[in-house]
Amino acid sequence: MAASRHMHEFGTTSAQLAEIKVAASTHAQHNPDAFLQDVVTVEQVLDSRMISDPLHLLDACVVTDGGGALVVVSDAVAKTLDRHTIPVLGTGFGFKGTNSGRIDLTYTGARVSGPAAFEEAGVTHGDIDYASIYDSFTITVLVTLEDLGFCERGKGGEFVLDGALQAPHGRLPFNTDGGGLCNNHPANRGGMTKVIEAVRQLRGEAHAAVQVPDCQLALAHGTGGSMATRMGSATLILGRD
Amino acid sequence: MSDVYTSYLPANAPEVNIETQPFWDATAQGRIDLAVCDDCGFIPWYPRLVCPDCHSTDMTWTTMSGHGTVYSYSVTRAGVGRAWKEHLPFVVAYVQLDEGPIMMTNVVGCDPETVEIGMAVTAVFDDTGEGTSIVRFTPAP
Repeated sequence: MAASRHMHEFGTTSAQLAEIKVAASTHAQHNPDAFLQDVVTVEQVLDSRMISDPLHLLDACVVTDGGGALVVVSDAVAKTLDRHTIPVLGTGFGFKGTNSGRIDLTYTGARVSGPAAFEEAGVTHGDIDYASIYDSFTITVLVTLEDLGFCERGKGGEFVLDGALQAPHGRLPFNTDGGGLCNNHPANRGGMTKVIEAVRQLRGEAHAAVQVPDCQLALAHGTGGSMATRMGSATLILGRD
Repeated sequence: MSDVYTSYLPANAPEVNIETQPFWDATAQGRIDLAVCDDCGFIPWYPRLVCPDCHSTDMTWTTMSGHGTVYSYSVTRAGVGRAWKEHLPFVVAYVQLDEGPIMMTNVVGCDPETVEIGMAVTAVFDDTGEGTSIVRFTPAP
């Protein structure tokens, strides 16, 4: 319903949403652990079975087992390590409910969490070299990009065109592990893999085919709950030491 | 206001609590009654006994028109539990009542392919068989 409303208000199209899946699949072909490793085209997304209008089968994430872990250390310990350590430069949290019946499906809690993280980090959108964006569905990514401020409200459909999300040379390479759309989506723990891939990018340890050259600043964003109505958003901005 | 009927979708009885009892009682008689804030005029959905905007406890149960428009919708074609599977495809929607609140519901009584955002709809009341009805909507005549 968020996608239907976005299309109604802003003219967003299914083909634009499909570009997000295309980018994810282009990355997933290089990830031997990805659940779906085949590159797909916009046409293949549009031709896939309609599940819940306007979202097709290939607009949806996979459902898999999975897990992850992060080791967080003090600055003192970090200094002793012989590899890039990844400082947390900014964090933000946002929540959104039904607003007691004043539903608006066109934005998420990222509208709060994003600016907070950018302000704390003291960086701007143009500084971000790589973004991990939670991707339960293609529309989730599109709305999140708008809410985080990578493009104007309603312009997400235009933003994702022309390979904008494709590594290594798109305007904003995203989810280079294939994301939830292709790699994995362990129940409601989809945020963990977002942080892990951002760390890989910053350390230069992503797959060579999708490694963003000289990746200095990355953003990782998680979305939880029912999009735009009963949900939480969390944004991290990570750097490199 | 409107007859209570039985549609083709499941209509499981709700859990009724003190805040929602008047709402559910009204549904059994084919009405949407919501608590309106006497002080600021806000009509919260779901019904509350305290206004979430101004915190007033002066709320008056008021009968709504039953008319609204589709705010958004999706035709669900797969991925549902057994009780709903035989009813595919069906329409899940947010309908905005003329009085303001937007509620999650179903649009029934029409071809799912004909539903669109902005479409005028009227409430229908789907009997749960246990003294309550589920509020759904059908295209306005």
